[in-house]
Amino acid sequence: MNLEEVFRRAGVVGSLHAVDLDSGAEVSHLADEPVPTASVFKLPLLAAFARLADAGELDPRERVTVKERLPGDLGMGAMLDDVTMSLRDMAYLMIAVSDNASADVLAGRVGLERVNAMLDGFGLSATRVVHNCAGLLATVREDSGEEWPVVDPEILAKLRALDPAQSNRSTPRETTALLGLIWRDEAASPEQCAWMRRLLGLQVWPHRLSSGFPYDDVAVSGKTGTLPTLRAEAGVVEYPDGGRYAVAVFTRAFSPALNQPRADAVIGTAARMAVDHLRG
Amino acid sequence: MDLVRHLYYFTVVAEERHFGNAAIRLGMAQPPLSQRIKRLEEELGARLFDRSARQVRLTEAGRLLLPEAREVVARVERLRELVRHGEARTLKVALPPDLGATAIAALVARFREESQGLRLAPAEMWTADQVGALSEGLIDVGVVRHPVTAPGLRFGQVLVQTPGVLLAETDPLTEGSSVHLQDLAGRELLLFPQEGEPGAHAETLSDCRRNGFVPVEVHHGIGLGLVLAGSAVAFGSEVSLPGVVWRPLLGSPLAWRVSTAWRVETPEVAAFAATAVRTLKESAGMTDEGAAPVRQVRRRPAMGFLA
Repeated sequence: MNLEEVFRRAGVVGSLHAVDLDSGAEVSHLADEPVPTASVFKLPLLAAFARLADAGELDPRERVTVKERLPGDLGMGAMLDDVTMSLRDMAYLMIAVSDNASADVLAGRVGLERVNAMLDGFGLSATRVVHNCAGLLATVREDSGEEWPVVDPEILAKLRALDPAQSNRSTPRETTALLGLIWRDEAASPEQCAWMRRLLGLQVWPHRLSSGFPYDDVAVSGKTGTLPTLRAEAGVVEYPDGGRYAVAVFTRAFSPALNQPRADAVIGTAARMAVDHLRG
Repeated sequence: MDLVRHLYYFTVVAEERHFGNAAIRLGMAQPPLSQRIKRLEEELGARLFDRSARQVRLTEAGRLLLPEAREVVARVERLRELVRHGEARTLKVALPPDLGATAIAALVARFREESQGLRLAPAEMWTADQVGALSEGLIDVGVVRHPVTAPGLRFGQVLVQTPGVLLAETDPLTEGSSVHLQDLAGRELLLFPQEGEPGAHAETLSDCRRNGFVPVEVHHGIGLGLVLAGSAVAFGSEVSLPGVVWRPLLGSPLAWRVSTAWRVETPEVAAFAATAVRTLKESAGMTDEGAAPVRQVRRRPAMGFLA
């Protein structure tokens, strides 16, 4: 299994960690190198939200009316009028379509310091959330002096959002560890873990992790992450024979082009190779 | 009159639909054959053949009589054979040719061991041929694939075989530990003959389609030459043949239902049926019917309703 070669042929460099959730067998490729997480940071945010719901510190059914918000191309960010929605339905939009406006409402309720405290408690010290979506976008504006989207390679090289030392970050291994906690009912109560698994199973994008498993009887759950040159997805693949595997794939493309279907698909291809390897 | 002999003449005429041909088959002249059929009709008080048409046709009474007559003839033949062989009685058994050498050998060996004094005469026959052979009394008991129906046929416990896939060792799919039916797309399939296994053939192809595998072409037969040559894949149990690799099918999407079948239950038939269930479970990896997995569909939003 030559993952480096597979990534290179798709025009990216990639890192990967895959683990059999029951046996603990794993496949690693640069799995401990820090990576900027882009929207994969919404995964620890979701877990922290679920734990506060368990603790009774927030009510997931509370309805919130959102007026001003971070504009975007997805979810509430794309809508024009006031939106009233429960916190847990915003969590759904945050995971299924990566809605930034919803993520920031939840980040405001949860508090990034509590996300990091939870990560400390799990022993995931390489994973940090230092910005919400609006904060990340602000760094991009400051670093580039341009409006989104940014495609100039020289400007991209300066973006703090793409530097794990200065942005939200994790490693492939810590990302699959968090998924393992959610799948084993250890990240929060079994009820909240089941809810998180449901949301991750509602992931709409079929072009990354899911594309590697084109089978009606294989379930793929996941959370994508996207920034210029950065494409990632972390999720769990469940086979009809009961096998279940957490996989995290982070890639950086050589080209700043925003549309690179092969770079998206290689996330599925690499994940499939790793899962095939784990299945013997 | 010798009623059994007359009934035998009747079954031959019924099969041939022609007095001349039946007479040739029986090695006699046509007039005495016609006479004997007439005498049988007098004895039973009903016309058995409609001779007005160019071809001889069975009357309703003849149709009703035919299966019974076959059974009487077969039973009497068996009775004579019993006497002929004395203690060394024979149980005529048919097995599907692709059941697998190991399973067939185990079944025969085990039955010999458990039923001393009973000679087992095994033959290889597809399900459709077995149904005919059972009704004609040519075999006593068979091992058939479902779905199969025939009047007067009785079945033993139904077992389930979940076949894997046989691939040429050069096929890239052999790199994985299991194969999904959908991965076989673009390949040709070698399957048991449609006329021999009409029910299982149709069911297997429809299960393949439902799971995303539409074979480019379906070949019929059991020789694994096409698999060895890399021209086709086949379904079945593990075989040890150099150049051919077996892999389980992910999620066990195919389930072949198999049982013993007979028309006349004797203690020997019952003993064989019991041995068959035990041996097929142990040597052919078959399981009880309830154990067959149901097809799962895991939903993904991008493939959702009207998505």
